[in-house]
Amino acid sequence: MVAKSDFDADDARLSAYALGELDADESRAVEALLQRDAAAREFVAGLRETVAQVERAFAEPTAERLDEPARAAIVEHARGERVATASTGNRLRVVRTLLAAAIVVAFAGGTLLVTQPWDKMSSITPWQSRFYRDGAGASKIERRGPSQALNAPGSNELPKLRELGYTMAGEAAGGPVWRYLDVGTGANQPATSLTEPSIEAAGARDFILGVGGGRREIEQFGTSSEEYDSIAEHIFRRTLDEALSTFSIDVDTASYANVRRHLMSGSLPSSGAVRVEELVNYFDYDYAQPSGAAPFSVTTDVFACPWDARRQLVRVGLKGREVHAQERKDSHLVFLIDVSGSMSSADKLPLVQRSLRLLTEQLDVRDRVSIVVYAGSEGLVLEPTSGRERGAILEAIERLESGGSTNGGAGIALAYKTAREHFIEGGVNRVLLCTDGDFNVGTTSRDELVKLIEQERKSGVFLSVLGFGTGNLKDSSMEQLADKGNGAYAYIDSIAEARKVLVEQISGTLETIAKDVKIQIEFNPARVQAWRQIGYENRALAHQDFADDTKDAGEIGAGHTVTALYEIVPVGVPFELPQVGELRYQTPRDEAPAARGDEWLHVKLRYKAPDGDVSQLLEKTVSSAAASWSEAPLDARFAAAVAGFAMKLRDSEHTRELSYAQIEQLALEALGRDERGWRREFIDLVRRAGALTR
Amino acid sequence: MHEPAWIQAALERHERGLIRYAARLTGDRELARELTQEVFLRLCEAERSAVEPKLAAWLYAACRNAALDHGRRTARRGRVESSSMDEHQGGSSALEELETRDESARVRAQIERLPQKQREALHLRFAGGLSYREIAEVTGDTLGNVSWLIHAGLKTLRERLGASALDGRA
Repeated sequence: MVAKSDFDADDARLSAYALGELDADESRAVEALLQRDAAAREFVAGLRETVAQVERAFAEPTAERLDEPARAAIVEHARGERVATASTGNRLRVVRTLLAAAIVVAFAGGTLLVTQPWDKMSSITPWQSRFYRDGAGASKIERRGPSQALNAPGSNELPKLRELGYTMAGEAAGGPVWRYLDVGTGANQPATSLTEPSIEAAGARDFILGVGGGRREIEQFGTSSEEYDSIAEHIFRRTLDEALSTFSIDVDTASYANVRRHLMSGSLPSSGAVRVEELVNYFDYDYAQPSGAAPFSVTTDVFACPWDARRQLVRVGLKGREVHAQERKDSHLVFLIDVSGSMSSADKLPLVQRSLRLLTEQLDVRDRVSIVVYAGSEGLVLEPTSGRERGAILEAIERLESGGSTNGGAGIALAYKTAREHFIEGGVNRVLLCTDGDFNVGTTSRDELVKLIEQERKSGVFLSVLGFGTGNLKDSSMEQLADKGNGAYAYIDSIAEARKVLVEQISGTLETIAKDVKIQIEFNPARVQAWRQIGYENRALAHQDFADDTKDAGEIGAGHTVTALYEIVPVGVPFELPQVGELRYQTPRDEAPAARGDEWLHVKLRYKAPDGDVSQLLEKTVSSAAASWSEAPLDARFAAAVAGFAMKLRDSEHTRELSYAQIEQLALEALGRDERGWRREFIDLVRRAGALTR
Repeated sequence: MHEPAWIQAALERHERGLIRYAARLTGDRELARELTQEVFLRLCEAERSAVEPKLAAWLYAACRNAALDHGRRTARRGRVESSSMDEHQGGSSALEELETRDESARVRAQIERLPQKQREALHLRFAGGLSYREIAEVTGDTLGNVSWLIHAGLKTLRERLGASALDGRA
């Protein structure tokens, strides 16, 4: 029998009691009520649950604080000093102006210069950059962060620096040139000494931000040592001169997550951090499922280009066969985890642990997991363990702690060895590397690591890279490792991203359905006057490598979609291309053959089975009429908006006329169903970027 | 001139709560940080003896005013953005849409559906970590009123969220 209840659910004291807001007398009164009334007890327990839910909802993982410059400004203001409180957008604009000046300075000298004489560098920051040209002639930067501080070089230290391979500016033409950046440590150096713009990073075509002009920049750039390879955008080519485009597919999405992390924290990413294709490929597009023998379908469209009325966009979309969770193959996953000291912050090892927990919860009796960790030394901390013993795996993940230096090379070698020794024939054998990419001892050079991975790839073990953390993210190394290791590179900036990569897209992340996927497109000069590929700059292949099965290319995972976009200029449209001067021996080709005048282009694809050595060929001709913007499929329009956004972030000359507000509008119109909210989030990022550049 | 130590202590104690609270009010984290900085800069100019006894109330009231001012300014300029108060009061900020994929977002979305006064009291309590008395000082309501607002808000949330959201959570 249920006792009669006499409590009033509208009695506000019950919430106040649950929240500890009552004084002693009132508390006793409520406790007496709870003693005698089960319904009241249940009601208060429910309130407590709700309180806990609300508390969790507000305890955001990123317990945000003001950034250091903002705090410093407040403290200074408290001391009675005047401070500028310009908005972030303004601060960044200042940086950009200074940057423009810096570029001029740098080019005027023909090379990069040490701008201060050595003897004037009294307080040197433990932070150096080295600029040099690599074998292929591309400008590169090498940086050494605070951990390997060199003190202010006196005359007796200069020889030591030379031994380390550094050359003073102007000392050896063509040799490596390095430059000491005197941007202060932030803590001790007065801001007034930070007037001179200093270039932080240089690329073949563009210089990246890095100006010691104010407090924010000290924080943002002076202590950060993130590394990005610079990207030179594809240029327009006249079809009569060059009709072929050959590239490897790329299913990486890391760049999008990294761009998002930058924008959410209120800064614009440097242009090297924005890989257009990775932004476009972050989203799923509704391409047809593959039918027949091929592991993927090919979709093509031609539609109006939203940023230039004279151009059309061509979209080539691939969709990998879906593999449902039940059909997933047996797998052996080796979690290779960087537990060095640099991984200790909350967005690194703790997020790695949470992410791997999510993944482990998807696993079952078909799966085995090993865990290899590396710091100063490497070790196998979990022998291959069946997914049935989930508890043991979770426990091993829980026990991970960070500390020590980073011997990435040895860790990778041990992980591959473990994977090879417990290889599952016909199954998924994959090393999942979780790191910030900072391999600072052992096999440290990127080239050696790449060689090691290329060697190991032949054993059938694939490598995926999950990038974590901020501050010293080595984006470029990680992308290259995944590329060479037959795997994808994802950047995990939040638990939501971990869920996307490791839960929602687990089949695609783990199960490769085709490898070495190459695309070659031949444009028809009868219809296409000029063309330009959007993105995929570091995926370009030599045309002859298309049919060469020994040449590596990208992998496509189950259910993955891959989208490539081109800008084309139809024949007959007035369009100026950079002209080469008159040539002495060449016959100018001005006449396009009239043949097949209805065709835009011909697509050829080559791919191999995941365990195959011989490639298959797929072909498709595109001759459809060009759709207007409003007739184009929503997905195509959304992809174009994302590409436009990425180009805008990279400050591409092609999107000068396109504003962030327009991009937002284009994307909004093409939202579609957006069941998981990814596209809405994109729109939020566009707004943020717009606000930062205002 | 102020001794900065108490300002620094105030920063340590309140900046996170203020940012969270301002983000809830405006739906825009970057703006929230700017408003929070503004609040502390104003704090530097205030008379310490007048402010310190009810510091939390002063900070949150200043933050609320700054957010409302900002909302009015953007509204006057006729811009409709995620950061505008008007849109927020419509109950569907960009931030909220963005967060629907995560579990906590469901809770936050339900809070956004509560009547304005209840919502504000809950924000001050849970985002800002204020006591009932401090909330009353910020909003100008009576203590009894605040107590009722929070109770009504929690009760409604309880009904709408149910107990199921807790199941299976670590």
